[in-house]
Amino acid sequence: MARFSSDCAVVLLEHLDTPVTRFLLSHPPLSRLFEPQKKEESSFTPEDAVLASVGIVKCSPDRGLLVSESMYLALEELIQACCAEDEGIPVVLVCGPKNTGKSTFNRYLINLLLNRLPAVEYMECDIGQPEFTPPGCVSLSSVTEPVLGPPFTHQQTPRKMVYYGQTSCEQDTERYLDVMKYVFSCYKKEVPLIINTMGWVKGEGLLLLIDIIRLLSPSHVVQMDVCDWKAMAPLTPEHVHLQAGLHTKGKQQPKCKQLDVGAAESWKCSEGEDASVQQYKLLYVHPEFPRAGVAGEARVHSGILRDMSIVGYLGHLQYPDIGAVLPLHSLVPYQVPFSAVALRVIHTDVAPTNIMYAVNASWVGLCCIPDEVRCQTDGPVLLTQTPVCDCLGFGIVRGVDMEKKLYHILTPVPPENLRLVNCLLLGNIAIPNCVLVGQQGIEGEIPYVTSDYNYSILGAGKLRKKKHFKRKDFTFECDYT
Amino acid sequence: MSGRAGPGWRRGRLGSAPAPAPGRRRLKPLRTVVAWRGRAEWDQVMVGLYCGDSRLQQDALDRVSAWKSRYGQKMPLAVDCTAELIRCKVLDSSGRLKSHELILSYGLALVRFVNLITERKQKMASIPLRQLAREVDIPIWVVDLRHELTHGKLPRLALCRKGCDVVLDWLRKTYWSRQLGNNLCEESEDEDEEEEEANTELGNDAWEIQTPQHEACQKHKEFHEKVRDILISYKNEQFRVMQTMQSASKSRELWSDSSSEMDWILAQIKDLMQENRESVAEALLSDGFLIPKMDCLKLLNIKYEANKEVWQFKIPQTFYCFWQPLLTGLLSRSFTQILIEKMFMELKECSDSSELRHQFLISWISELLTGIAKVNAGKKRQHCNKQVSVKELFLHKVPLQWIRLTDSCLEAPCWATPHLLQLILTVMRPRLSRTSRKNLLYLASIYTEGGAPLSSPGLSSDSSEHPIYTIESLQWRVRQENQVKNQGQTVEKEDDVLERDDGVEEAEEEEEEMVTETNPLEGLAHPGNMAAVAERRAALQGSAWQITADEVQWKDFPLGKLPGQTDDPDGLMLDNYSMMSLLDQPVRDEWKTLHTNSAELKIHGTGGLLWTQNDFHKIKSGLQLF
Repeated sequence: MARFSSDCAVVLLEHLDTPVTRFLLSHPPLSRLFEPQKKEESSFTPEDAVLASVGIVKCSPDRGLLVSESMYLALEELIQACCAEDEGIPVVLVCGPKNTGKSTFNRYLINLLLNRLPAVEYMECDIGQPEFTPPGCVSLSSVTEPVLGPPFTHQQTPRKMVYYGQTSCEQDTERYLDVMKYVFSCYKKEVPLIINTMGWVKGEGLLLLIDIIRLLSPSHVVQMDVCDWKAMAPLTPEHVHLQAGLHTKGKQQPKCKQLDVGAAESWKCSEGEDASVQQYKLLYVHPEFPRAGVAGEARVHSGILRDMSIVGYLGHLQYPDIGAVLPLHSLVPYQVPFSAVALRVIHTDVAPTNIMYAVNASWVGLCCIPDEVRCQTDGPVLLTQTPVCDCLGFGIVRGVDMEKKLYHILTPVPPENLRLVNCLLLGNIAIPNCVLVGQQGIEGEIPYVTSDYNYSILGAGKLRKKKHFKRKDFTFECDYT
Repeated sequence: MSGRAGPGWRRGRLGSAPAPAPGRRRLKPLRTVVAWRGRAEWDQVMVGLYCGDSRLQQDALDRVSAWKSRYGQKMPLAVDCTAELIRCKVLDSSGRLKSHELILSYGLALVRFVNLITERKQKMASIPLRQLAREVDIPIWVVDLRHELTHGKLPRLALCRKGCDVVLDWLRKTYWSRQLGNNLCEESEDEDEEEEEANTELGNDAWEIQTPQHEACQKHKEFHEKVRDILISYKNEQFRVMQTMQSASKSRELWSDSSSEMDWILAQIKDLMQENRESVAEALLSDGFLIPKMDCLKLLNIKYEANKEVWQFKIPQTFYCFWQPLLTGLLSRSFTQILIEKMFMELKECSDSSELRHQFLISWISELLTGIAKVNAGKKRQHCNKQVSVKELFLHKVPLQWIRLTDSCLEAPCWATPHLLQLILTVMRPRLSRTSRKNLLYLASIYTEGGAPLSSPGLSSDSSEHPIYTIESLQWRVRQENQVKNQGQTVEKEDDVLERDDGVEEAEEEEEEMVTETNPLEGLAHPGNMAAVAERRAALQGSAWQITADEVQWKDFPLGKLPGQTDDPDGLMLDNYSMMSLLDQPVRDEWKTLHTNSAELKIHGTGGLLWTQNDFHKIKSGLQLF
């Protein structure tokens, strides 16, 4: 060891071969996942060849981790705050537009902190691309090991998780805040907390962010943005204090006072917030990597990342001691009677007669509601509203037995947790296409899989969100048609 | 509501599982996930929506609501629009709404239709709605109706009804009746959108081209189209020449004579190559060019033999001569490298060795390598044993990056790998050491022997039937043995398990896109798993959750299907269910109405979040106590 100076690093390379990676690689579209991208015409030196043989290739400098000056300063300050004993436990909220490096910042910060602390807590509010869970969840995780790979390589069971059921929150921001509050209430303020937020910071998104800051009252807000502050105004404590949020009011002079003062007061007390300006330290970070902040410039499409984290999650269904990959449909599922678990479709209204049809072969959140599931008949129990409740994991409804009134469910949730599950939530998150399409060894047609659907026919595609947003920007110029 | 719909809707239907024609692998339609179980259901819903009987329409709408749940955000626009319009009609015929309310409902459905459908056609610059509507045959007056609805006076109900009917008819003609129909005929046009659509999800082979940037993707496609166009003009020109000669064999010489037409084509292609060599190579290898379609072979009077031994790694001479002028013109040093690598990549993806594509790829690689060998060895354009009419592909020496080619070759193992590898190893400079060459060749032939009775005459015939035996098999076997030992079972049993597994493996070999590592065991029948299952079963004791105990061969049933279940979605319809409301949960609607009524309260709120449902609930229950 004496031969190594302090700026040496020892890199331990291990062959990555786990049930999860094997499962990932068994899907044809992912089979080359871990192979290096096609090399540019590079000059080969012998060292390169040695490294290449274990899968390490040289990248152009702009593809590495670029720590800008501002990022470095912010990290330094946060580390100091987290390690200082006297100032209370920091709660760090990281925000900024899409593709400005929020996740990278978070990971880097977590890893740096783990060099000094045994554990860090991490609250995920970015339901589009959660770090530790499948998409659509708000969760609170305790992180004790450095975060190195992409999310699909480290799916883990969080301390608290709620299934929101969508990949974006604009459809129901109220429930989003409820969910967040519910999860946050679990944070015990024993170790530093890092809160990741959505990249939606335009219009209502920014207002929602102000709500969130007000709600979670962080000690530090890290605002990441490209230099010009075009996407979002600086979120100084004063600004947040005065500005109305989407669901909260700013500190404007109250005009009239009247009735129900008592109720409002008691509510205020129960909220435990005071009316004075929230004090937090605002840290700006200007990312300096190429194409920072340019939406749609991410290297991989977010839909693909979502699918991969789901496949990564499903990989936990594989048995550890078998070298081979068992196809999902060949596994023996769990079964549970209709009457024992309540059911709710989150994202759309489904006619109750058709609800089993909607649930079949779908991705469901396995949840636990405090209420006892009551049921007069042996038929299914449909909830009248979407509960804010613990989600213990996810599963695929492998089949619905209408005669025996049973759901058959495939899930990696361990049995001791599974027995607590009394509610299935069906959201907007679908089983990845490659999982359904790639079922091997099936004779005859696979349900819901077709090669006959023609996307070129007008109207065959989905609603395009991007175009939608684009039009918004031009509302004043066009629409004179 | 069961079974298939009337035959009228089934015009132009293909077999339920259309087998891709040989040699059309590239155009094999993309397998995607949809919300319906099959065509029968699609027809049933379409007929239901359009039947005019409100009850059946409502049933169909209910099903569409389930589709919407299954699809999430990917619900097809046309289905959504149709359902919205039909909903208006159902409301209308129920007589529950007054005309003004109906106008509002129809109005929104119509506005949404016009906007959503035409928005799909909007390009970067905004094009007037009228023009877009004309392009897609939506009557102009419907566009005007939309304008009135959004910017002008509310139209009369009669006009809304008429608009609704016209639009529904448009949707039926342009979407419903054409969908799931004869899409195979339109493939060349389809590809773009199809890929575009599929690009955003993980469910197809598009991993390579997952550039999220829409524009880059679009540009790439346009470029590809350009190359194809020129290649088609090349083909046409060659065919024209052939026609003047009346026969393919006679035109061989003429084909390689330069003409102004041919020079122009070559110049154009070279021009495109400056821009993007990869795409040119890609286009050359798409169906219909270097890899011919059957009709093209017929035109050239070439008989296609599926038997690989007949080929002897040679491209049929007429076909070779057909393309030689173009290739000779294009095969620069870097392009040769790219083209051969691409060919290997294609070969890797093309698993069925009896396919036209497979044969042609192998033969082209072989021809190219032989050509390079000749020219590099200095036997330049000499009259070899060949006929005079057969011209060489290469005019100058082509030093390539041989190690990379070797890699690509090994990444695409098939029966011909030993042959191709040998060619590479012979041509490559600097050479690998003799032993490395020998070892590589041995390994390659051992690895591929299963499918290569041709290249390994020395091997006994029965060994070729065994599946590939890899390190994984060995590790698996060791584990098997350990487990069996641990459980104190007899050796007999172990053999049994192994044998059974072999059986499965062989059966799977025949699967088209089989990944070699997948070695599906029979679910949990594995002894190690049995223990795990028993453990889980114990942990679930006394809970509603159980491990399914039936002796079911789950692997035979795809997700979404249980033993004994038919494909008829009506089997999943519910007639009996109970509703449950939650005690300690937000009651959204109630909260909302109250919230808007208490404006003063809202103003009064200070810094914190004003109301959440929980809070309000607390307040409410608190109030009740007083």
